[in-house]
Amino acid sequence: MKATIAAIASAPGGARRGVIRISGARAADIVRACCRVDGAPPTLAERLFFEARFDDGHGEQPALLLWMPGPRSFTREDVAELHLSGSPPLLACALARTLELGAEPAAPGEFTRRAFESGRIDLTRAEGVLALIEASSEHERRAATALLVGGLDGRIAALREGLDGLRALCEASLDFDESDTGHVPTGELAAGARAVEEGLAEALTWEDRRAQQSGLPRIVLAGLPNAGKSALFNRLTGAEHAEQSIVSGLAGTTRDARAADWVVGGIACRLVDTAGDDPRADPRADWGADRAAQERTGEERSAADVLLWVVDASAPPADAPAAAEPRRSVLVWNKIDLARDAAPSARLLAAAHEHVAVSAATGTGLADLGLAAARALGVAGGAAPSGLGRELHARHKACLAEAHRQLGEARANLDAGAPLDLYAESLRAATASLDRITGRTTPDDLLDRIFSRFCIGK
Amino acid sequence: METRDAAGRSVSNEWLGRVMQEPVHPHPAPGSTARAAAQTDVLVVGGGHAGIEAALAAARLGARATLVSFRIDRVGEMSCNPAIGGLGKGQIVREVDALGGAMGRVADATGIQFRMLNTGKGAAVRAPRCQSDRHLYRAAALAAVEEAEGVELVEGAVVGLVLEERAGGPGVRGVRLADGRELTAPAVVLTTGTFLRAVMHTGESQVAGGRVGEASADGLSDDVARLGLRLARLKTGTPPRLDAKSIDWERLEEQGGDADPRPFSFGNAAPFPGLPQVPCHVTYTSERTHEIIRANIHRAPMYAGRIHGVGPRYCPSVEDKVMRFADKDRHQIFVEPEGLTTDAIYVNGVSTSLPAEVQEAFIHTVEGLENARFLRHGYAVEYDFVRPSQLADTLAVRAVPGLFLAGQINGTSGYEEAAGQGLIAGANAALWVQDRAPFVLKRHEAYVGVMVDDLIVSDPSEPYRMFSSRAEYRLLLRQDNADRRLTRRAAAIGLAPREAADAAGRKEARIRAAIDLLGASFVAGGRSRIEILRRPEASFADVADGLPALLELALDREEKEAVEIDVKYEGYIERQEENVARLAKQEATEIPADLDYASLTGLASEAREKLAQLKPRTLGAASRIDGVRPPDVSLLAIHIERRRRERAGT
Repeated sequence: MKATIAAIASAPGGARRGVIRISGARAADIVRACCRVDGAPPTLAERLFFEARFDDGHGEQPALLLWMPGPRSFTREDVAELHLSGSPPLLACALARTLELGAEPAAPGEFTRRAFESGRIDLTRAEGVLALIEASSEHERRAATALLVGGLDGRIAALREGLDGLRALCEASLDFDESDTGHVPTGELAAGARAVEEGLAEALTWEDRRAQQSGLPRIVLAGLPNAGKSALFNRLTGAEHAEQSIVSGLAGTTRDARAADWVVGGIACRLVDTAGDDPRADPRADWGADRAAQERTGEERSAADVLLWVVDASAPPADAPAAAEPRRSVLVWNKIDLARDAAPSARLLAAAHEHVAVSAATGTGLADLGLAAARALGVAGGAAPSGLGRELHARHKACLAEAHRQLGEARANLDAGAPLDLYAESLRAATASLDRITGRTTPDDLLDRIFSRFCIGK
Repeated sequence: METRDAAGRSVSNEWLGRVMQEPVHPHPAPGSTARAAAQTDVLVVGGGHAGIEAALAAARLGARATLVSFRIDRVGEMSCNPAIGGLGKGQIVREVDALGGAMGRVADATGIQFRMLNTGKGAAVRAPRCQSDRHLYRAAALAAVEEAEGVELVEGAVVGLVLEERAGGPGVRGVRLADGRELTAPAVVLTTGTFLRAVMHTGESQVAGGRVGEASADGLSDDVARLGLRLARLKTGTPPRLDAKSIDWERLEEQGGDADPRPFSFGNAAPFPGLPQVPCHVTYTSERTHEIIRANIHRAPMYAGRIHGVGPRYCPSVEDKVMRFADKDRHQIFVEPEGLTTDAIYVNGVSTSLPAEVQEAFIHTVEGLENARFLRHGYAVEYDFVRPSQLADTLAVRAVPGLFLAGQINGTSGYEEAAGQGLIAGANAALWVQDRAPFVLKRHEAYVGVMVDDLIVSDPSEPYRMFSSRAEYRLLLRQDNADRRLTRRAAAIGLAPREAADAAGRKEARIRAAIDLLGASFVAGGRSRIEILRRPEASFADVADGLPALLELALDREEKEAVEIDVKYEGYIERQEENVARLAKQEATEIPADLDYASLTGLASEAREKLAQLKPRTLGAASRIDGVRPPDVSLLAIHIERRRRERAGT
């Protein structure tokens, strides 16, 4: 028998109302022992909302009691919610009372874990709950809600169905001789394969957009024109990247902000390249376009979780840029291959949390830069610890991309004359990649990792 | 290449061997006193393809084996089509051979047409098949049993089981024959095929019996039911047999065998093929055929509701084909000789249980068969099978010590499937009697392992037939490498001969040596010969040229092919091996036998019911049960882990 668990389910810090949640077979006994409805223990026969008096052993207080008998509850167990005054010491007393009465303190994420284990929700929904809890802004909350209501699992289910159909065709072709009823013409297979690949590509774009909306931590490259921001961007995100910035010796080439994924300290981030600070330095000035670029640069900077302030060591400016918050900034002392002996001035150093000497041209110091960015992300707070929703997006995307890659490669091989049994093998692998998203084949350690990130009470 | 050790086994498999739990017999061994008191060690009931392999496997392991059959002259009978192998099945025959079994050698000696199927679709789905001379096959199979050391043949009709009370319920001590004799043995392997409560249907007429001219075994069926085993019904059908002299051969398409036929048996030393080779022929049903069948469909026992058992979807009766695939205007018919010295012709593709006169009418509408004379009409057999979810992975009945089941009695179809199970059941019956560790093949090791695992976690709703798609590690389980996979393991316990294991070891070493040579040799452009061979269009011959060391190895045809396959499939095979390793933990986690599923509150009710009923031994088996979903498996995993920690802590 599973233990009955209890926890404070409302947000920490004084709110007007606090919630104690209890789930498990002993929930009814606990509630009857500490609550009175109309002067008597409540009967708790069906799903109800009561006005009650809660006794924490030291005194009574008014409470709302929400009773949800299993299996019609989130965890499919009997669940009780006590809505009490939001005072933290009172809530602590109330929780202590439920523990005295036989409940065990809930482990992080345990309510949701039970919901997942009881088949109440699939993994993407569980992740949605998690993201919702950790959502730190309104638009993140919206994205998490979308995840929760099943935006992704609906899509995955459709993709999975297409893939299953394709696999069935392929297997039938392998398991029956040409003469049999089950034999499938290759043309039909190829058409099915294209449809599934397109579906996956579309889902990838969709997942990408969603990741942007929910906001991976943003690390923004800023600095004077020709300080080497774009060269750095290309270096950090891989030179072959599709969104590669245009790099030229000519200052001010970057008009639009470009972004790509960059993982620092294990956290998936968006690295954003911006136009240079000073349009007047551009000899080919097209003022309208430049003004728009400058505006975007301003926006990107204010939305930055961390600012990488790139400085040309061979021609350093005298002053730090205005309005940069030193504790979220890293001074990137670039082009040390050209200026070996130069060192940043005290004034520049004071404007940043720390500084790193690099050469975008030779690649020197880039690993240190990653570490410094991760540290700044940690110092900046918020972004790093609550980056979980982002981790999820990164995971979903990786699984989708893997499935897409496997299918594409397999079809190319098939076209080149590789046998059908190998194609079937790739379809199986692609199915497994998709299944990792919804938890159908999620290994236990991944489950543990995901569930341990839930905050207590949800 | 580095992922393989000196013996040629992949290192990840080695590792798996260590982490995976050793299989166990579901009952304690009977003990030497019980063994000494019995007439034999392993008593096999039934002389079909399962029974033959069961008796031979037990004997190879050093046990005394006795095979009881209704009629000795029917041992090794091919009750349905005169062919061995086919897609998914040919792989099993190769495995049975690699494990020391007889089927491959018997088929090689009596085959009259050999073909490799699916050659264009990849090495993993390629499968050998042969047409056999039915009479010679039977004679060769009987000879294999008669010549085997340690096998005694007894003719007699088994009418019941001899039971005895043992701790925890009744056990089996032997069988009772119709003439009143009792044969005693600590282990009994039932391979009674379709003979349990068998009824044959031809149109409106019904006759008790499992095969034309042979009785049903109802007493045995009653005893099996009395043991509390759950039974269900299935049906299977067979087509008419025609007289060759009455067929207009000129009007049929000829289909010959392969120009370079391959034997099933790895150690085949006899001249091959040993018999003259003959062609098969192909013809088609017509719209007129379909009209006759449709007009008489109410007289087909299954459509008239007289047959309650479920028939196979993959090998449907001609009634089924016509009714279900109404859009097809013709169906293929293979006209197959039953042997070199008989005029009997098997018309593959028109299995039917329609009344005799309807069969004649529709057959006569088929091109070339207009004047065909019937030697025997088609019929359907309806029979009891034991729901195989009551079996352990040794094919022992979990609730009845001493009883093992193999073949159609487990709800399977096909000679090959029967042979594979017979070998596993017979071997484990012997090992159990001898108090030795069981011999269990896992899903990534053999098709035989896939089949046994499939059977014990789900009850078939139609006769179970092997398909390559049932094997998730299909790329590892090829017909070409069955000896490399299995023979050394089988030889280690005495199931396969030492010489066969040595031969498999030498083959492995030569293949490895060839691959090493190819990897170390570079051609113009700086690429190794391995890289060139990896390309889809390249063959062994393309890369062997100008490499004298390779020519010195003098690889035979099979070895050259193995080199090609090993190189071309390497990346995929590695990935499958990684998957095997990844699943190993779950696969190996044992579910305590006393686990109370009723107390696990989170389980979905369907999963709870099935788990409680099927009692899977490992989490891996639990995860494959239909109706058990991943959250249920996670819950089980967590529960088992928690229980383990609690026990460790106290």
